[in-house]
Amino acid sequence: MKSILLSGVFVLGLSVAAYAQEAVIGAVLPLSGSSATQGDDQRRGMELALEKINADGGVLGHPLKIITEDSGGRTATALDAAKKLVTVDKIPVVLGEFSSGITIPIAQYLLQQDRVHINIGSSSTQIRSLGKGAFSVIGLDDVSGAFAAQDVFSGGAKNVAVIAPNNAYGQGIANAFAAKFKSLGGAITSTVLYTEGQTTYRRELQQLAAGEPDLYVYTAYGKESATINRESFELGLNDKKWYGLYLTMCTADSDPQYVEGQIGMDLNYIGGNGGDYQKAYEAKYKGGFTSTFNGFAYDGVMLVAAAINKAKSLDPQKIEDAIAEIGKSYEGATGPILLDADGQRSTQPYLRLKIESGKAVATQ
Amino acid sequence: MFQFLVDVLMRACDLMLVAIGMSAVYSLMKFPNIALVQYAATGGILAIVLQKIGAPVAVAIVFAVVLTGLVAVILNEFLFNRMLKIGSSTAMIGSLAVSLVFSAAFLVTVGPNPSRFRLPVSKPIRILDARITEPQLVSFAIVAVALGVFALLYFRTDLGRCMRATSTNEVLADATGINTARMKTIIVLISGVMAALGGVAIALKGEVDIQIGMDLLLPVFASAILGGLGNPFGAVAGALLISLVETVVTTINFGPLMGQVVVFLPVAYASAISFLLLVAALLWRPRGLFVSEVKRV
Repeated sequence: MKSILLSGVFVLGLSVAAYAQEAVIGAVLPLSGSSATQGDDQRRGMELALEKINADGGVLGHPLKIITEDSGGRTATALDAAKKLVTVDKIPVVLGEFSSGITIPIAQYLLQQDRVHINIGSSSTQIRSLGKGAFSVIGLDDVSGAFAAQDVFSGGAKNVAVIAPNNAYGQGIANAFAAKFKSLGGAITSTVLYTEGQTTYRRELQQLAAGEPDLYVYTAYGKESATINRESFELGLNDKKWYGLYLTMCTADSDPQYVEGQIGMDLNYIGGNGGDYQKAYEAKYKGGFTSTFNGFAYDGVMLVAAAINKAKSLDPQKIEDAIAEIGKSYEGATGPILLDADGQRSTQPYLRLKIESGKAVATQ
Repeated sequence: MFQFLVDVLMRACDLMLVAIGMSAVYSLMKFPNIALVQYAATGGILAIVLQKIGAPVAVAIVFAVVLTGLVAVILNEFLFNRMLKIGSSTAMIGSLAVSLVFSAAFLVTVGPNPSRFRLPVSKPIRILDARITEPQLVSFAIVAVALGVFALLYFRTDLGRCMRATSTNEVLADATGINTARMKTIIVLISGVMAALGGVAIALKGEVDIQIGMDLLLPVFASAILGGLGNPFGAVAGALLISLVETVVTTINFGPLMGQVVVFLPVAYASAISFLLLVAALLWRPRGLFVSEVKRV
C-alpha cells in the first residue's frame, strides 16, 4: 500500500516537472498550396528528427514536441501562424517556411518578438541580412546561382532565357544566375518573373520563347511548375533543353512525360553522415526522398534540440547563443553545417541532376 | 500570327459564355448577377470532382452543368428574386455576397490547390505556326456549340421571341399573355448552364482553382458592359475585344524601341487593360459599343 502511494506521488511529481520543463518548438510549413509536396516532405524530416531525439532521451529529460502550423503557401496565413505560435504557445524557436517570400516576413516578426528563427528551406540572399537570432541550415542563392550559371555555360548554351517566380527567391536567384552567366560571356535573351498562384502561364512562356534562346532556365514551386511544364510541352517549347534550378522542386508535381530529359542543379541533400537518416526515411515512408528538403528540416530540429540541451534552458537568448556555439562545427545529415557570423550556412554542396525514366539521378 | 489568333480565341472562350449569361440575365432581371462567375467555377470544379470519383469525362461534364443550372435557379428563387423586390443594386450587392460565400465553400470543400481533369497526355497538333492540343480543340467546340444553340434558341424559337419581348417591355409582354416569371426562370437556368459550360471549357484547357471565379469577374464584367449589358451577343464581341487587347498588350515586343532584343510588358498588366477598357466604356459608351434597345438602370 505504501509503495503504491509513494509511486503515485512519484508519478505526480514527474508530471509536474514535465509540465514545467517540457520543450515545445514551432514550425510553419506549406502543408497546402503550391508547395504542399515540399512542405509535407519537410514535415517528414521533422518527424524523423523527433523520433530520434525522443528515442535518445528527449530534451532536458522530456520528450520534445513540435507544433506545426500550415501556411497555405500564403504570407498572411504564415504570419498569423507565427503570431499564434508566439502568443498562444509561447514557443522560443520557430522553423520554416519554404518559400523565401514567406520565410523573410515570418523571420522578421519572430526576431521582433525576440524569438529564434531557423530557416530550413529558403535560399534568398536577403535572408542573410535579417539580423541576430536568424539562422539558416541551408545554403543561400549567391552560391547556387553561380553554380548553375557555370554548369549551363559549360554545357554549351550561350543564349538562355530565365523564368522564375516574382518574389524574393525568384528575383535573387535570377539575378545571381544572370550576373555569373554574363561574366562568363553568355547572354540572357529574356527574364520573365511570373506571378505566383495562377492557373496558366501561357503568356509568360510565349514571351520567354520570343528571344529564341538555346536553353530555358527555370525555377518554380511544385504545382506552378507542373503547369509551366505542361504548357511548355503544349506550346512546343520543350524542343529546346530545360535546366531546372532546384530541379527536384521543379519536377516533383509534374507529369514525368513533360520533364523527361531535363537537367538541373539541386542541393546535395545527403552528407557523409546521412546514411542512417536516409535509411530511416526510406523505412518509414516506403520509398526514396520526395524532395531534397526533408534533410534540412531534420537537421534544423536536431540542431535546435542540441542547442536546448546545451543551454539547459528554454530562454530564446540562451538557445540562440548555444546554436551559434554548436554551429562552429556541426555534422548534420545534409553534411557539415558551419554557421558564419551572420548565422548562415557557409558552405553548401550542390549536385547536377538529370531526369531519367521519371527519376532524378546525379550526372556529371 | 496564327498562334496569336489562337491565343485571342482561347482567352475569348474563357470569357464569352459567362459574359453572355451575365448579359442575358441582365436583359430580363435588370441586375448584373456577379454570382455567375462562381457558377463557372462550380461547373469546372464539380466536373473535375465527378471525374475523380469515377465518372467518365462526358458524363461528369453533363452532370456538373445540369447541377449548376439547378443551383442557379434555386438561388434565384430564394435569394435574388426577393432582393430584387427591394432594388436592383441590393440584388447586385447580394450576388457579390453570394460569390464570397461560394469562395469560402470551395476553400472548405476542395481546398486551395488547383486541380484538373485526368486526361491522357496529348501531343500538340501543329496547325500553321500554332500548336493546339486535343482538349483545347474540344473546349473550342463546346463554346462554339453552346453559342450556336443559344443563338438558335434566342432568335429562331417562340421561347426566344418571348424572352426578347419580356426583356424589351415586361409589362407589355405580360399583357400579351407571356408568362414573364417563367421566362425569367428559364433565362436564369440558361445563364447558369452557359456559365457552367464556360467553366468546363476552362477546366478542359488547363487547371481550375477556387480563385477562378473571382479572377473572371473583371474581364467578364468588362465584356458584358462593352457589348452593352442586356445584349447577349454584344457580350461575345466584348469578350473578343477584351481578349484581343489583352493578348496584344502581352505579345508586343518593345525590344527594338529600347535597343534590346526582347522587352515585354509583364503579363500581370493584362488584367489592368480590361479594367482600363471598362472605365473607358463607362465614360464614353455607357450603353456599350452597340446601342441596344434595353435601357440600363
